[in-house]
Amino acid sequence: MKNIFAVAGIVIKELYRRKDFYVLFIVTILICLVMASVNIFNDAKIVRYLKEICLLLIWICSLVIAVTTTARQIPAERENRTLLPLLAKPLTRPQLLFGKFLGCWLACGLALLCFYVFFGALAATREHQWPLLDYFQAATLHWFMLGIVVAMVLLGSLVFAAPSSNNTICFVIIVGILFVGRHLDQVALTLREPLRTVVYSIYFVIPHLELFDVRDLVIHNWPLIPWLYFSLALLYALGYMAVFLAGACLVFRRKAVN
Amino acid sequence: MSVILKTQKLRVEFRSREMRQATKVALNGLDLEVRAGEVFGFLGPNGAGKTTTMNVLLGFVPPTSGEASLFGIDVRQPIARQRIGYLPELTYYYKFLTAEELLRFYAKIFGLARGEADKRIDRLLKLVELEHARKRSIKSYSKGMQQRVGLAQALINDPDLLILDEPTSGLDPLGRMKVREIIQRLKDEGKTVFFSSHELGEVETICDRVAIIHQGELKAIGGVHEIIGRHTSLEKAFLEIIGFQTPPTP
Amino acid sequence: MNSPRTILLLLVALLVSCFGLAAHLQPQFEAWRGSRASGDIFNVVLGDSRRMFAQSFYVKADAYYHSGYYPTMFDDNAAFQTAHMAEDTGAVNSKNHGDEHGFLGPTRDWIDAFGRHFFPDRHTHLDEGGADDDLGGSDNVREILPWLKLSADLDPDNVQTYTVTAFWLRIRMHRVAEAEAVLHEGLRNCPDSYDILFELGRLYDESYHDTDRARNVWNLAIRKWLKLDPDSQKDNRLIFEQITTHLAKLEEDAGNLPDALNWYQAAQKVSAAPEALQAHIDAVQKKLRALIPVAPAKLY
Repeated sequence: MKNIFAVAGIVIKELYRRKDFYVLFIVTILICLVMASVNIFNDAKIVRYLKEICLLLIWICSLVIAVTTTARQIPAERENRTLLPLLAKPLTRPQLLFGKFLGCWLACGLALLCFYVFFGALAATREHQWPLLDYFQAATLHWFMLGIVVAMVLLGSLVFAAPSSNNTICFVIIVGILFVGRHLDQVALTLREPLRTVVYSIYFVIPHLELFDVRDLVIHNWPLIPWLYFSLALLYALGYMAVFLAGACLVFRRKAVN
Repeated sequence: MSVILKTQKLRVEFRSREMRQATKVALNGLDLEVRAGEVFGFLGPNGAGKTTTMNVLLGFVPPTSGEASLFGIDVRQPIARQRIGYLPELTYYYKFLTAEELLRFYAKIFGLARGEADKRIDRLLKLVELEHARKRSIKSYSKGMQQRVGLAQALINDPDLLILDEPTSGLDPLGRMKVREIIQRLKDEGKTVFFSSHELGEVETICDRVAIIHQGELKAIGGVHEIIGRHTSLEKAFLEIIGFQTPPTP
Repeated sequence: MNSPRTILLLLVALLVSCFGLAAHLQPQFEAWRGSRASGDIFNVVLGDSRRMFAQSFYVKADAYYHSGYYPTMFDDNAAFQTAHMAEDTGAVNSKNHGDEHGFLGPTRDWIDAFGRHFFPDRHTHLDEGGADDDLGGSDNVREILPWLKLSADLDPDNVQTYTVTAFWLRIRMHRVAEAEAVLHEGLRNCPDSYDILFELGRLYDESYHDTDRARNVWNLAIRKWLKLDPDSQKDNRLIFEQITTHLAKLEEDAGNLPDALNWYQAAQKVSAAPEALQAHIDAVQKKLRALIPVAPAKLY
């Protein structure tokens, strides 16, 4: 475990020493502050549009951070030849992969924490309330969704030749799942065989990332998600993370490192 | 003296992607033994198979057939690398880390306690003369400084076997001298050093035994003087062993 | 040719010729019908596609009205053909049918069943409590206003955006001045809109209690409506009925019973429920008989 945490620590250090996160964070703050300064019929209590814009930006930024940070981990190690002195240590390839995964996931978590604290502060300036449990549920689900994304992109980084192709393909898949994942079964019903079976299979196999998108619940002050279903969703996410990581270990086992 | 590094009928083939049937034989039945406490030079022209041999020993490349072991442990076991230090030919490290952070990271992987790691890092940075630059990111280091940080990370676990792939490559004469001094000091401490180099003059000076490979096959192995034999220098012996015909002097 | 001076002179000559060409073409570009250079930022950036975005934001406002519980293109949206936020103003013809509470239908599989815990799953209106059943928060309908404002900015010709915005501003938010400003802006962009004039009249009557201005504005609305061709009049009977009914009520309250009678009779001609209006007509006629024995001249 210590090896995994050591590798994870390096990934986190890399994130906060690069400019990506700070640029995205500052852009988010600026856009939200500009949106907050708009006068809408002299009513200072209107808040939901602001929450929606802020959460949309948080989702976009977090996906960019998760995908781009993870996609470059193994390829950058190979290209920069930092992989050789690393694997020459008593560190197994699965340990390296788990360390990279944990580092990227924790780094995303730290970034999310900053974003959600800002979101909470922004909403509180108008709503004058802090629904902490709602924010906790939303942020945790978001973080676990990013865990699935990180594991998926890590597998992609071992399968696809270049980080840019991995980035593009993963973004397309993620956005596709978020927009239409929930409705694929309805789409399948409108198709003929064998396409119907193919689409149904895709529907049941893909990780349903849209389950973790609870922005509407937060924006419109819906009651809390029942804790049982919340926990089941986290387990669902952990399951998919395990599947993708297992796949990555299998692929990385026989891959040349130089 | 016990055998620390051993290969037996080691064969490595690389299959070409373009033509399924064509394979390149990088190593062909290599038998090698390195004993404890000796400085062993591993020589050969470019493309002879030196780096491939090291990659097999470090577990980067699986052998097609044959065996390789370190301290009697198969090289495919990660534990075999617990007591070795490795310096690659081209040294690149995490540019966003400082030398101190890099060494601390590797110390963690070897399971060194914090206090012990701190002492060792101080000693190594002093040894490779990078104390003044310990807090600077590696991004700002020169080639020579990066090579020295590489040497420091190879020594972080106080290894019993050091595997160095062309350790003086790209260094100026002063840098090469310092590397030779470090290797000599390690030998005096009873460490085993296995390194490849094109600087035959250096090999002649510091090595106890050498092996020469060419086109994946072992051509000669033995003490330095044994290899030199009737020739005036290791270079002339090397050229004859690999089959290079020196043109007659006019 | 390679000397710096020659290159510099060539660059200057190029710059001058570019400037001259631009100056020569500028008047032609400004006169060109397709030019968007003088429009607002949305017009310049988006062109006519801004209307598509305007419609999306209008729908977004209705989604906010339902606290996010809204059908997607994959769901049964028969009960959401007409925006509920507009329907609740009482001033639009509703095309809604079907079950607004269950557009999702029965659960299709375990993923669907599990997933319904993670998005809005209940039909609510913001002014009736919303998602958190806050019955005291009927002014939460304010949350739809940014999207309506954006929709109006993107498509200034959409009359319904102004009337819906003004209605909620006035009725729930009690921001009468802002509602009036919205309607005036609507009239600037859509000067012939009887819907906006009707809503403006309601504002003068119900909020400012200025019956004279309300009467003037509603009369103007009637005149605008009468300029429509017969087919358009047939499609817009509801608004005519509403204007005439409000005029009738206003005149009846003011004691102008002959005018009130005329307006009720005009409304009855287009009403889908003429018997309801007959009761009002009978009441006014009864009052008239008590006061004025002679039938009045028709104003309409």
